[in-house]
Amino acid sequence: MALTGRTPLLALLGALVVGLAAPSWAGVLLVTLAVLVLAAVDAALAGAVRPLELHRAGDTSVRLGEQARVDVLVTNPGRRRVHGLLRDAWPPSAGAASQRHRLQVAAGDRARVSTLLRPTRRGDRHAYRVTVRSVGPLGLAARQRSRQLPWTLRALPPFASRRHLPAKLAQLREIEGRAAVMVRGQGTEFDSLREYVPGDDVRSIDWRATARRSEVTVRTWRPERDRRVLLVLDTGRTSAGRVGDAPRLDACMDAALLLAALAARGGDRVDLLAYDRRVRARVEGAPAPALLASLVDAMAPLEAELVETDLAGMAATVLARGGRRSLVVLLTGLEATPVEEGLLPVLGRLLHRHTVLVAAVSDPRVAELADARGDAATVYAAASAERARAERARLVELLRRRGVEVVDALPDELAPALADRYLALKAAGRL
Amino acid sequence: MTAGTPATDSASLAAGAHPADVPADAPAAVTAAPPGSGSANHLPRPPHGTLLQRARRFRAPAALAVLVLVAGLALALAANGRTGSLDPRAASPEGSKAVATLLGREGVDVRLVRTLDEAVASAAAGDTLLVAQPDLLVEEQARRMAEVPASLVLVEPGQGFLDVVAPSVLEAGQSFDSARDPACPFPTAERAGRAELPGRVYSVRPDSATAATGCYPDASAAGDAVALVRLEPASGARSTTVLGSSRPLTNAGLDEEGNAALALGLLGEHERLVWYLPSPDDVPPGARRALRDLLPDGVEFGAVQIALAVVLAALWRGRRLGPVVPEPLPVVVPAAETVEGRARLYRRAHAADRAADALRTAAAGRLASGLGLPRRAAPPDVVEAVARATGRSPAEVGALLYGPPPGDDAALVRLASDLDRLETEARRT
Repeated sequence: MALTGRTPLLALLGALVVGLAAPSWAGVLLVTLAVLVLAAVDAALAGAVRPLELHRAGDTSVRLGEQARVDVLVTNPGRRRVHGLLRDAWPPSAGAASQRHRLQVAAGDRARVSTLLRPTRRGDRHAYRVTVRSVGPLGLAARQRSRQLPWTLRALPPFASRRHLPAKLAQLREIEGRAAVMVRGQGTEFDSLREYVPGDDVRSIDWRATARRSEVTVRTWRPERDRRVLLVLDTGRTSAGRVGDAPRLDACMDAALLLAALAARGGDRVDLLAYDRRVRARVEGAPAPALLASLVDAMAPLEAELVETDLAGMAATVLARGGRRSLVVLLTGLEATPVEEGLLPVLGRLLHRHTVLVAAVSDPRVAELADARGDAATVYAAASAERARAERARLVELLRRRGVEVVDALPDELAPALADRYLALKAAGRL
Repeated sequence: MTAGTPATDSASLAAGAHPADVPADAPAAVTAAPPGSGSANHLPRPPHGTLLQRARRFRAPAALAVLVLVAGLALALAANGRTGSLDPRAASPEGSKAVATLLGREGVDVRLVRTLDEAVASAAAGDTLLVAQPDLLVEEQARRMAEVPASLVLVEPGQGFLDVVAPSVLEAGQSFDSARDPACPFPTAERAGRAELPGRVYSVRPDSATAATGCYPDASAAGDAVALVRLEPASGARSTTVLGSSRPLTNAGLDEEGNAALALGLLGEHERLVWYLPSPDDVPPGARRALRDLLPDGVEFGAVQIALAVVLAALWRGRRLGPVVPEPLPVVVPAAETVEGRARLYRRAHAADRAADALRTAAAGRLASGLGLPRRAAPPDVVEAVARATGRSPAEVGALLYGPPPGDDAALVRLASDLDRLETEARRT
């Protein structure tokens, strides 16, 4: 039961009747009773809400920043028309354009109510309740009822670094084409034999094949294919810190997606592991065409947890996978304590089996603080920022000396920088 | 950024996520994020300007209210000049200071009273009692007034008062006819001659027992409407004068025609004049009536009905369309929080030495790599290279880069700017 604005308005008109015609308690009682009885009758005559059949249809996932549509299908099996409002309640971060809709369903008919959603945050958004308010024929009162009608809309990572992909793919093709003949050595594999043309490196002439055939034959080489790349997302507290407006984790995901797209085209196998103190997400052995979709789907609900990442446990998980040598890309925040206490002790075993690349998101705010001058407060801040930078430089140096590749870049630059480093490693045959 | 749990340093990041409930219908956390903000934005933002829009909607009523207020104030201020009506202390045009002063000079003892009790107590037989605004008195007070032994001068009394105090006089309407002649045998009026008497006019009941003299007849109205009635009981008791106009007593009207003579004649008849200026709050308890008693019943019960309508309106607005939606909010921790926290610690501890060390190490490292030395080159090498590049003396450069730590904050700020200058110079060469 709910009232509409007409009921108080009617009661207000009743004030005129009471004031002019019946100035007594009896008059007040009579007028109020009349208003209430009218409202009750109106509510009784309103179309029933309980027997309404509600169903959902529409999008189940949307890339962050784009718009999705989720429908509610209302079927009215009752004998009276249902006329009024329907509210499809979503949490604020689902970004519903409008949650209230006019509802008009004749008896035995059905109607469709669409809610447009533009999520403001990555992750799963759950529909909350559907509330229907059915107004009576006089428009004085309404029946109202809320019902659970579950639906989940998954807001996928935006993959903003997509725009870098064409340029990086061109570089990848260049490496492959150049390597066909000219480059030879570690990291390349035998491809085929073909006839010698002037300009070929004489060192690549295959004398045995030349002897068997009547013409001079050379061997061709191509960069190694079917290597393995393991993307490891750190979802611990260092990834929760916000750089600019977004947590570090989002920049890491963006870089991971670009690298995955590139590596899949380069013929490598890409796996994903998200870890803080336990495995939070894992994608293994996804076929290349569906790789990005499954990665994005696995990343969507991930949120950084406010716990210290167990880097030793992470390394153990990576080692437990066994299998061939891989490029392990660790996307993290690069902080002294977890790296020194967690990663360094196990780094030896990790490097023994795999190539390790650490990609870290640096904070432009630190550089900003370091350059600021003015009063004592800003100079102290600058000193603190310099110390943080020195600490970070020391860590990078430490990791490099142990044979770890390190990419330390601002959030916007991390994805292309990581892709470049991958291409360089591939060209050098170090995968 | 919207609320969350800001953590002050890295230690408190381990505290765990705190989901915060946000009502979906509440205006503070609403859903309308600007389009295109999705990639960078991760929290719902409060919409801009809803408060402003809401304020804008009430602009016209607010302007009206202000206008009414201003107009009311202006009217109140304008009306303020009309106070002191017939007050013997007031020098305003409506006041009566002039006539009171003249009377005093003539040797009449003028005494101002504000309450009926005072008036009755002080007006003895042989005095004159002037009742300035008799219509302010209720019937019960008028009856007490009728028993006062002093001679009465009533200024513009209404019928209700006359019925009690001078039942033989009837109110006969208004007259705006101003100057008129006395045309009667009352000596005071005869002496005064023509007078300016706009206001009420009276007639005398024909069957009256007391001897009544009517003066200053209204020329425009036929019949016996007069502006002044003098009642003199045959027994020689107190006389009663009914004056239809306050004009002769006011400062403004005193000098018109024979007004002054009339006023002085009427008020200066006896040695003592009690000037009774009734005050509005001097009302016997039985005659007091609250505002509610004056309102018709319809207003009261109509108000009850309006209150019920307001209750119904509250029920209408209070019923929400479905429950409030909870939103688990992410924790907002700026990544540079630890850096800023350490800066505050340095500052509070005045750790100028540590801060200077950090700045010097960073500057030396940058200078060294800029001049082609390894980043961790030995101090003498750096000093020599920098001195050569900038043209400064090695001692000066050495003191700047590796000298003693600054003593206080001011020295630290100076050191920072000196280091900056050195780096700029080194880069220029």
